[in-house]
Amino acid sequence: MGEMASVDITEDEAQLYDRQIRLWGLESQKRLRKARVLVIGARGFGAEVCKNIILAGVKSVTIMDHGVVDEQDFCSQFLVPRSEIGKNRAEASLERAQELNPMVEITADKEKIDDKPDSFFGNFDVVCATECTTAQFLHLDNVCRENNIKFFCGDVYGFFGYIFLDLQIQEFMEEVTTITNTHEPTGEPLAKKRKTEKTVQNTKGTETYVPLQDALDVDWTSESYAKRLKRMDPSYFVMKALLKFCDKKGRKPSPSEREKDIESLKEFVKEELTKQKIREDFVPELLLKDVFAEISPVCAIMGGITAQEIIKTVSQKERPHNNIFFFNPLKCIGYSACFGV
Amino acid sequence: MAASIAGVFENDLQQAINSSKVFVVGAGGIGCEILKNLVMSGFNDIEIIDLDTIDVSNLNRQFLFHKQHVGKSKAEVARESALSFNPTVNIKAYHDSTMSADYGVNFFKRFAVVMNALDNRMARNHVNRMCLAADVPLIESGTAGYEGQVELIKKQLTQCYECLPKAPQKTYPGCTIRNTPSEPIHCIVWSKHLFNQLFGENDPDMDVSPDTADPDAAGDAGMAALKGEANDQGNVTRVTTREWAVKSNYDPEKLFRKLFHDDIKYLLSMGNLWKNRTPPKPLVFGEVPDAVAGCSNETDAVLKDQKIWSVAECVEIFSSSCRNLYSQQQRLDLGDNLVWDKDDKDAMDFVASCANIRAYIFGIPQKSRFDIKSMAGNIIPAIATSNAIVAGLVVLKAFYVLRGQLENCQSVYLRNKPNHKNVQIVPEACLVEPNSKCYVCSPKHEVQLCVDVQSLTVKELEEQILKKGLHMVAPDVITATGTVILSSEEGETTDNYPKTLSQMGVVNGSILKADDFLQNYELNIVIVQRCLTRDGPLFEIIGSETAKPGSPEKLQPENGQTDDDDDVVHVIDGESTSNATSSIRKRKLET
Ligand SMILES: [Zn+2]
Repeated sequence: MGEMASVDITEDEAQLYDRQIRLWGLESQKRLRKARVLVIGARGFGAEVCKNIILAGVKSVTIMDHGVVDEQDFCSQFLVPRSEIGKNRAEASLERAQELNPMVEITADKEKIDDKPDSFFGNFDVVCATECTTAQFLHLDNVCRENNIKFFCGDVYGFFGYIFLDLQIQEFMEEVTTITNTHEPTGEPLAKKRKTEKTVQNTKGTETYVPLQDALDVDWTSESYAKRLKRMDPSYFVMKALLKFCDKKGRKPSPSEREKDIESLKEFVKEELTKQKIREDFVPELLLKDVFAEISPVCAIMGGITAQEIIKTVSQKERPHNNIFFFNPLKCIGYSACFGV
Repeated sequence: MAASIAGVFENDLQQAINSSKVFVVGAGGIGCEILKNLVMSGFNDIEIIDLDTIDVSNLNRQFLFHKQHVGKSKAEVARESALSFNPTVNIKAYHDSTMSADYGVNFFKRFAVVMNALDNRMARNHVNRMCLAADVPLIESGTAGYEGQVELIKKQLTQCYECLPKAPQKTYPGCTIRNTPSEPIHCIVWSKHLFNQLFGENDPDMDVSPDTADPDAAGDAGMAALKGEANDQGNVTRVTTREWAVKSNYDPEKLFRKLFHDDIKYLLSMGNLWKNRTPPKPLVFGEVPDAVAGCSNETDAVLKDQKIWSVAECVEIFSSSCRNLYSQQQRLDLGDNLVWDKDDKDAMDFVASCANIRAYIFGIPQKSRFDIKSMAGNIIPAIATSNAIVAGLVVLKAFYVLRGQLENCQSVYLRNKPNHKNVQIVPEACLVEPNSKCYVCSPKHEVQLCVDVQSLTVKELEEQILKKGLHMVAPDVITATGTVILSSEEGETTDNYPKTLSQMGVVNGSILKADDFLQNYELNIVIVQRCLTRDGPLFEIIGSETAKPGSPEKLQPENGQTDDDDDVVHVIDGESTSNATSSIRKRKLET
């Protein structure tokens, strides 16, 4: 991905991608069309990521999911037709995914990630994983680190969502705008003649990332992190509790177990907060109430953010988030923060 | 569908989704995404409207459309695609303009919430008024490139779309366009005017010939002989450009000689213009340089359209596009005209080649066809991800509206780059209260109109002021004494059109009552007499919202420009699709 992309864009592509080439330029488009992306987990959030990167015109997308389509998919998984209940989710998504853009190679893979040899992941430039256990995420991240593959993982739980990025070392170009005040040397009073000048410069930047393990193993009793708590949004602890929930129960919170699962989740939050010596009401209970299925508008938000981060990464244009992005539905806020550095 | 599974949503939201009728205005980038989110969330009763048809350049983001749908109705194809997500949902699609009289206040009253996914100010203003009149909550949204925003508009609770004056559109003085261009955009605007002069609907405001009434040229000795040929508007009236072209059978060489040689010579004769400017160099057909001006370090890593043509290439493209447009025009019915369209190859080639030839003549850097298309077509870069994020936020806000939790409907912004706290999706701290002096949503609707009653005609009042300036659709106007100046009934007041306001008895201090039946909107217009000046605007509207007591000299025009729609190069305020009556609209970024 580093060298200048030399493949020429055809007239058909120029027409189809016109509006985005006008935004991110031809060089970015050429880099995009060389990128091979693996999307693991194809529920609503995974489907949104697929849609956006397929539309953007990457080289190939492999949709990997060993699960079968169930009723909950229809909360947000728009790639699967209703008639496909009980079929493999990746295969059921294939046809509509391909319709989004005939120029992108799309493959379905219904194997389990645990059955894949590490060498399998070397076929990709980007891996984006959802619907995995923490252990699987950690393993994938390690494999990607060893093979210089850009790694993304995240999930949507009801109205809540997060993504983690491990891009190892990411180099990029970004536009930096500087505003300078200049005074015109005239007899006029300064207040009247003050001019602001905007200069936009293309600058090279680098971001360094830590492994997922580090981002999850934060010691909040340490001085620097304890200080951060004062003004911090609690989403990090919601994410940790949800990951724990899934690891312990082998499933995400279930709408049919709504009240019981909310209680379990509260327990997991409490456990973590106690362990980290954080006051119990740090995470508002309201934030734990709407964590069921994957809600379409939130999949759209998180899928949009994730795909845009993948596009930034592949095209090496603009600074990607480092290293976790949260969507907190209570405040309707989306932000990133760096953990484990 | 989420709302058909118990436990996904809290009960009140589940019920609200199952039972609410909602309206999506626009089936473009944001509209497609909103529709998907609504269907997947479990809404059963959705209506969607869009006037547009599908273009190939939509397909990179308007994901409900595929190649085989190009040319078809956006609203109808969006409906069909969304039905495949859930065949039992009830979706009604209208391939129509929202501003049509079919969609009155009673139409809007049927919805629990209206979601705007529009790309132009005209339609946004209209839907804003309809929702205020129907007292239905409106969720307004837009994107431009990486940025976007979502806001709730609710009568008496929040600001409406028109509470704050919008920045005026960028326009260029006629003298600059016709006589002294100094930037590529001046040449592009001139070329679009030329297109309309030659092939489009004749508009006297789009004259392209030298303007002899240019104040900068005043006092020219050499002008004396020529002055006799100009009327008091400054236009040389020997023959119009159109008449001349028809007589010449649109012969490219003859057109070239007039536009790029004779008219330039004429400009040179206005010596005062060139005292402090580099004079243009007339071009002779067949004697143009083959080299590419001003781009020696061109790489081969560009699109075909991104290469800059040599002047010789420009002349070739000028000639062929002229011939093609002439034959396009001859295929039309008598009296019909071509409409400039950035996606029509010949129309775009014509504007790009003319703009570059003129730029060369005036020593202005030339631009690629790709760049000229952006500027001439007001293209806003648009991507799938921003639309998806904004549409997701729209539907989350709709959930709050339906649950009656309007206090949670603060505006949200999607930023290009995260702010200093690394926030990219940024919520506003609180709802913004309506402007108590807004001439649209406050109890008292009143503006001041500064205008020359001696010269402004009733026709101009209707087109320029009431429709373009004050965003009415079908206005009626009476004076305080009951004289009907303008009626929305077809033909009823046509006789008044050529009359000036003063001939209708309007004087300084008169109050006109304007009424738009469709928008259920009445407005008092207080006339302030102001003599027309050469470079001044035709009129100025002072909305009471900008009036600060005690400092009347600081009044800002709300939208006092008399610009041509097509001259605007700046970004629009939204990504989706046009629901307005005209295909080309002024647009601006509002994030
Ligand atoms: Zn208002």
